[in-house]
Amino acid sequence: MSRSALEGLRVVECGELVSAAYATKLLADLGAEVIKVESPSGDAARRRGPYPGGVVDPESSGLYHYLNTNKRSVALDGASASGRAALAALARHADLLVHNLAPRDMAAHGLDYDALAADNPRLVLTSITPFGLDGPRRDWEATDLTLWNAGGIAYLNGGGPEAEDLPPLKPFGQQAAFQGGVNGAIASLGALRARQRSGRGQHVVVSIQQALAAILELTFEYWPYQGLIASRLGRKPIQPLDFLECRDGWVFICCVEEHQWHEFVRMIGEPEWAGIELFADRLSRGANWDALKIFLQEWASEQSVLEVYHAAQQRRIPFAPVSTMGDLLASDHLKARGFFATLDVPGARVAVPGAPYKFSTTPWAIRRPAPRLGQHTDEVLREVGVDA
Amino acid sequence: MTLPLEGVRVADFTWVWAGPHCTLQLTHLGAEVIRVESASRTCVTRLLPPFADAQPGRNRSGYFNQYNQGKLSLALDLKHPEALAVARDLVVQCDIVCENFAAGVMTRMGLGYDVLRQQRPGLIMIALSGYGATGPESQFVSYGPAQVPLSGLSSLTGYADWPPMHVGISYGDPNGGAHGAVAVLAALLHRDATGEGQYIDLSQWETSIAVLGEGVLEQSLTGAQPARCGNRDPHMAPHGVFRCAGEQRWAAIAARDDADWRRLAALIDPTLVTDARFATLENRKANEDALETVVTSWTQTQAADAVVERLQAARIPASVAMSNKDLSEDPQLAASEFFVHHEHPEVGARLHLGIPWTMSDTPCHVRSAAPCLGQHTDDVLSRVLGYDAPHIAALHAAGVLA
Repeated sequence: MSRSALEGLRVVECGELVSAAYATKLLADLGAEVIKVESPSGDAARRRGPYPGGVVDPESSGLYHYLNTNKRSVALDGASASGRAALAALARHADLLVHNLAPRDMAAHGLDYDALAADNPRLVLTSITPFGLDGPRRDWEATDLTLWNAGGIAYLNGGGPEAEDLPPLKPFGQQAAFQGGVNGAIASLGALRARQRSGRGQHVVVSIQQALAAILELTFEYWPYQGLIASRLGRKPIQPLDFLECRDGWVFICCVEEHQWHEFVRMIGEPEWAGIELFADRLSRGANWDALKIFLQEWASEQSVLEVYHAAQQRRIPFAPVSTMGDLLASDHLKARGFFATLDVPGARVAVPGAPYKFSTTPWAIRRPAPRLGQHTDEVLREVGVDA
Repeated sequence: MTLPLEGVRVADFTWVWAGPHCTLQLTHLGAEVIRVESASRTCVTRLLPPFADAQPGRNRSGYFNQYNQGKLSLALDLKHPEALAVARDLVVQCDIVCENFAAGVMTRMGLGYDVLRQQRPGLIMIALSGYGATGPESQFVSYGPAQVPLSGLSSLTGYADWPPMHVGISYGDPNGGAHGAVAVLAALLHRDATGEGQYIDLSQWETSIAVLGEGVLEQSLTGAQPARCGNRDPHMAPHGVFRCAGEQRWAAIAARDDADWRRLAALIDPTLVTDARFATLENRKANEDALETVVTSWTQTQAADAVVERLQAARIPASVAMSNKDLSEDPQLAASEFFVHHEHPEVGARLHLGIPWTMSDTPCHVRSAAPCLGQHTDDVLSRVLGYDAPHIAALHAAGVLA
């Protein structure tokens, strides 16, 4: 029987929606015992869906079920005296408490680090926040959309030089919150390791704005290094690196290195237009992309996505399909790796993203599905000595 | 105060962005990270702009210098026959090996996990690759920009009547790297408890799908994937990025519920508060084009900062769509000590971005600028590997350390 990597780690989560819940999901799926504390009305993720067959039911929200595998649920009113007392008891017995309450609401819910540490000096408290707990904007209101803009990534996307009227664009889903969650997991595990030597817990604070600014690739440094503003409106200097529509979907073509371009030209039978001087090297292919794209699109519209993808990859050209969700679920590669896991949601058995990494000794595993609201309230409160 | 990973040493065989982003997190936590580099296979990011003052040079790239802060650089030409012994000597002195070569390359070089674990019991090794170490496509070539469409994110991002879109960065790289750091840290805690090391196989494709849970679940639960809807959201309206006065100035605005909308409407035009077209979420979604026209007519005559200040005063989520220049001047980031200004031997003190979290008891800081290629070769060989001066000189003379 293999042990889990984080076996014995006791975690309390006060999470709404994604960031704190994803941080503790990462830990729970590696073996930590996570107790999810929900308000009597439940985590807002229960009200986001998607739902089986589209029928709204807070016990079957897909986002909630995905984010809360391997956790137990305790329902309590964190703003009431008895709720605060119960939360304090949970914190006394925990190694780590992760929350994403708004900074201004922390004190009212008893999430005061000094008070919690007085009772349990070994506790690590991790606050995943929009902007941190210092600075003029610590109490600014935020959502995923506004944070993606505050972190600077939206400004880099949303139409090119031909589409100046399109605004900066967020990606699908709640990516700002997912990044807050991953950073919360990294910093929490770091603080737990520091505790092995110091014997003390500490207060960890994640700023989602900073977590996003920290992944701006090469764009941020254009300002301090060259005095240039990076935006979505610049032309790509080298091509092809773009989307083309095939007869059965979209493909992303990527052959910016000269040897990749020549391989690609051979792959498509060396058409005459490929020899036109306008397309002689990658800079001229970039400068004349509007023209080149017309030829390439004409070629692509006769092709099938997977045939193009596999033919290119056989020649070491890094094309990719523009995968739909259905394509992912049907992928032979992902199937062979056993990537998707199965989860029972009330009214449905569904495929969900599985292990994000494969451990040779301490495997990632879903040991129990996400809990019903308050499913473990009595059991957990008894464990920490509170009369429910 | 002892940092979380103080005393932990990492042999970093990664390059480009995903792997270096993983080891950057370990560096932030206090690990000694030694990047194994070579002029015969220079890291792609050393060759990409922006270059300090627009003068190219392998130590002058802002891209490399951002994601390799605080690390050491050991120049070692792994194609040289004498390099393998040096690499193995390095691994023996390390707790963690990170690599993001194509699947199988480390093994072919004689640096596979099965060999290394014999020499260094308890070793933790992570391979970050585009497709993972197994499966029929494990040998496929992976480029950062192609990972976004491959992951499924492009098919969900953009507008219903437009082609699929990118997201502006090679998102699969930092997302994979950060997930890799979570995995390494969990494996380290396990080793601390049991003495057992392990091998971690991370596929960037899979870590990218892990953050698309809602998309996969909608397909699984309803048989269709979410339609592309730009900046809109099924549960909030208005929810968009609106044009403000000035050249390419925009403000993101999100009304989470009816109360947010009423406060927003009061600021735009009090008569809107009772406008039935916008009274409920359902009505605002049904009339979203008109709603966005109303909001834009209000924002486009004002400066983006003024719009955002006004909305935040009314407790409505809003932000300027920040450019790199805006971020460098952002008072919030400055107040939280996120900015780093270390002196670098070739480019001087440039503004870099630091650590996105703080710790009260073991404060983590970026400890130095990114290294020049090979800057710490002699230091690592003598201090860490215990080589004497003649040995190091012989390796230099043989061209191993280039």
